[in-house]
Amino acid sequence: MEPIDIGLVVTGGMLVLVVLGMRVAFAAGMAGMIGLIWIFWAKSGYDPARFEKALTVAVKTAGQVPHSKISSQALSLIPTFILIGYLAYYAGLTKALFEAAKKWLAWVPGGLSVSTVFATAGFAAVSGASVATSAVFARIAIPEMLKIGYDKRFAAGVVAAGGTLASLIPPSAILVIYAIIVEQDVGKLLLAGFIPGAFSALIYGLLIIGMALTIKGFGPAVSGFTWKERFLALPPALPIVFVVVTIIFFVYNPFGGDAWGTPTEGGAIGAFVVFLMALVQGMRWPQLKEALLETAKLSVMIFTIIWGVLIYVRFLGFADLPGAFSDWITSLTMSPMLILICILLAYAVLGMFMDAIGMLLLTLPVVYPAVMALNGGEFVSAAESTFGMSGPMCAIWFGILVVKMAEFCLITPPIGLNCFVVAGVRDDLSVQDVFKGVTPFFIADAITIALLVAFPMIVLWLPGQV
Amino acid sequence: TEAAATSWDVSLWGKRRAFTEHVEKLAELVSEKTGGEFTLNISYGGLSKNRENLDGISIGAFEMAQFCAGYHRDKNPSITVLELPFLGVASLEQEIELSKAVYSHPATQEDLGRWNATLLMPSPLPQYNIVGVGVAPATLADFEGLSVRATGGIGAAMETIGAVPTSMSASEVRQAMDSGVVKAVSFAPHAHMSFGTIENGKWWTTNLNPGTVNCPVVVNTDALADLPDAHRDALLGSIDEALDHYVDNYNNNTMAAWGPALEERGISQVTFADSEIAAFKEAAAAPAAAAWIEDNTARGLPAQELYDLVTGMIAKGM
Amino acid sequence: MAGSSLVLSDDSLLSRIDQRLYRLERIFALISGLAVFSLMILAVISVSGRNFFNQPLPGYVDWIEQAMPLIAFMGISFTQRDGGHIRMDMVVGALKGRTLYLVEFITTLAIFLLMVLLVWGTWSHFDRSFDFGAPMWSRDSSMDIALPIWPAKLMAPLAFGLLAIRLALQLVAYARAFLTNVENPIAVPLIADAATQAAMEAEQVSGNEK
Ligand code: NA
Ligand code: NA
Repeated sequence: MEPIDIGLVVTGGMLVLVVLGMRVAFAAGMAGMIGLIWIFWAKSGYDPARFEKALTVAVKTAGQVPHSKISSQALSLIPTFILIGYLAYYAGLTKALFEAAKKWLAWVPGGLSVSTVFATAGFAAVSGASVATSAVFARIAIPEMLKIGYDKRFAAGVVAAGGTLASLIPPSAILVIYAIIVEQDVGKLLLAGFIPGAFSALIYGLLIIGMALTIKGFGPAVSGFTWKERFLALPPALPIVFVVVTIIFFVYNPFGGDAWGTPTEGGAIGAFVVFLMALVQGMRWPQLKEALLETAKLSVMIFTIIWGVLIYVRFLGFADLPGAFSDWITSLTMSPMLILICILLAYAVLGMFMDAIGMLLLTLPVVYPAVMALNGGEFVSAAESTFGMSGPMCAIWFGILVVKMAEFCLITPPIGLNCFVVAGVRDDLSVQDVFKGVTPFFIADAITIALLVAFPMIVLWLPGQV
Repeated sequence: TEAAATSWDVSLWGKRRAFTEHVEKLAELVSEKTGGEFTLNISYGGLSKNRENLDGISIGAFEMAQFCAGYHRDKNPSITVLELPFLGVASLEQEIELSKAVYSHPATQEDLGRWNATLLMPSPLPQYNIVGVGVAPATLADFEGLSVRATGGIGAAMETIGAVPTSMSASEVRQAMDSGVVKAVSFAPHAHMSFGTIENGKWWTTNLNPGTVNCPVVVNTDALADLPDAHRDALLGSIDEALDHYVDNYNNNTMAAWGPALEERGISQVTFADSEIAAFKEAAAAPAAAAWIEDNTARGLPAQELYDLVTGMIAKGM
Repeated sequence: MAGSSLVLSDDSLLSRIDQRLYRLERIFALISGLAVFSLMILAVISVSGRNFFNQPLPGYVDWIEQAMPLIAFMGISFTQRDGGHIRMDMVVGALKGRTLYLVEFITTLAIFLLMVLLVWGTWSHFDRSFDFGAPMWSRDSSMDIALPIWPAKLMAPLAFGLLAIRLALQLVAYARAFLTNVENPIAVPLIADAATQAAMEAEQVSGNEK
């Protein structure tokens, strides 16, 4: 068999293992290990006497991957982003944020749910994970919405959808992972998520206002907060602004001067600021220990997928499967834009059954080179490219698109995790209720994705300023 | 005997550039000379991380690889002698002769032998110089307090004039420079161009010349021994031509592009007075050499002998 | 996709070993958490050093690279014990009784074999960087300040070895469940349906809310 055939067979075997319920990280690692053994043995012409040698070389090659790939400065962003999220609970930031959003925004039609969307967007600026964001706001925001007569399904849908903003608006663990796999600038990708994230929040907000204006008996606007109350609600929420500004200034100085450091430092300093706030709010060693254990658990889960998949990717390097796939994609006679849309739709289907991080890690090593080839190559200039953007810009654009797709899948049946979490927090809500309530937001997300595809400038303007 | 088809995997990194032209040429020549029977499959980053290339050679995962001595001095202490500051190497040709002499020294061969590696050829680079942002330094005293990305011997040298050396991998350099973490970066010209430091840079030092890095191409010793004679001859017999091509390309294409690249971007060229450079060398070279000899003697290397070999050849203008 | 789940215990030997091991795994995981904390402190020192004292932390990147294996590997067995490594549970979620235990046994065996090979592979990676005869036992050093890398490389076979022990224990537990065909086997993570799962995750989060 040619290396490429070995690549295809092993990839098929891996998918079977994943469907059978083998933990994704280890299924990928196993596929990589078997693939390496196979390819080294094939190189010796399947000589039985040289199997042991092939096994040794394969095992030692795979054994390099975990340490050598994990010990990178850019990857250190992931645990610090996760830690920020956990510490933010102890710092009481979520509650304060919701109160402030309510007092300032609840007067518009559909006011309380609009406030919820913007509060989740604000929390997204300190939280790196969608699921945690939905869980927190399910507790804080849903009861208040129910109190003033919202449909409980819709209230749940707002929170499930709002949670997805956390993965676009920086900091975002999943954007860091994308940047690492495709070897692009982490800082630029994080920056690129900001406008699409805010844009998504805006579309959600407009959708709600539209619904409130047209549907009878939709949740009423809440007015009557005095200006004094409004301003008094701000100070407790201000620390969020402080953290956000800190992180942004470490990536990019909006006033044109030097940034304060690297994204790595920005993430860590942000975590430190939240840590100090949590201390002030009364966090002590037992709570810190819990936060550290939870951070460790989530981090190791992500890192295990990363090195497991990278063993598989190392094997792909020897089999040259990504090269073959992108040759195939570029040989298709369909229009490149249509191919790109097909790829995004494939992600929508895959995302119904898979976890976002696992999905990106498994597919990007093959799909990303193909998309880049479609645009004219990694180093193409904007003028000579298919999509009218340079190689690095195409990498950023595609990254935001796939992450938005992956987030879209967090609210789609049958396994939209955010919906399960919201239903889990609220005893009075079934998962079906949440899926029903979140349906309008599919439309909002579909519109957002279509706009991001049609107007790449929404994504590329901000990173283009750096 | 009839030579069977052989295919070697070669682990490089980044993209095809001046720095990898000798390997590309070698692949072309070897295939040509053996009528396509012996091929080199060059992979840019697919087979290993660059800092693990020596490990991959040791394992036998691939047969040929390139790496830089400064990535991991404990793996290859012998050849780091070529990275000492202010050796005074004048040309790529001289860099090749010095590398060949060090590579064929028994202590070096034993050092790399620990990795089952045989040194094939160097990737000669010109002297590093510095691209920076902000006000251009008029004298060396202006380096006081300036944060500069410089590793190894060059970093140590920069410290002697009060600069603050900071480390990061080449791919992080651009971000660090844009964000003000470092104000200046030391690289060879091709790297200044491929890692984009000249896009924002305001000035370039023409004659600081504190040293360079040494990046050999190695092969797996067993794989080399297992080659049919015809293939081994084709490989070893093509090295000089591959290196000629490399030097020719570096001098006539890369260096030819360098001057215009600076002018196009309006980057000012800073030249320091000879007396200043002499003082800099005085302060930096001897202590670094003494420390290197002491450390590596402790490792059981004939460090003084290697150092004398290199400086002796330079003194004789070889 | 499954996150954490339930592990039952009783006073059998198997369960007591499980709980003893869990305590060790928890310590390893806490080391990982403390390493994350130290990253944060390191950044504070680096940034303030650079901005206030014009003296950046020498080898900042080298130190991060030393801390990363602690974060990435040390909690791996702790997470496996609780069923925290994600997977697609559409198929296994629909299985019951012996069929379920058999499928779990097979996929766990596959992970066990993988980890045994990886203990070998990562040990050899460590071994290449280690030399009793060299200064600081080092045959591989970091780029900037030449820290020996062998301690960081040693973390992988260490953590993977502990995971292999955990997997062996889970294999015994699944085999036992298959033989006795009990309804709720001990010492292995039970598959909660997606809703229970989510409730537990929400519990974790809300438990932290004040
Ligand atoms: Na976020
Ligand atoms: Na889903």
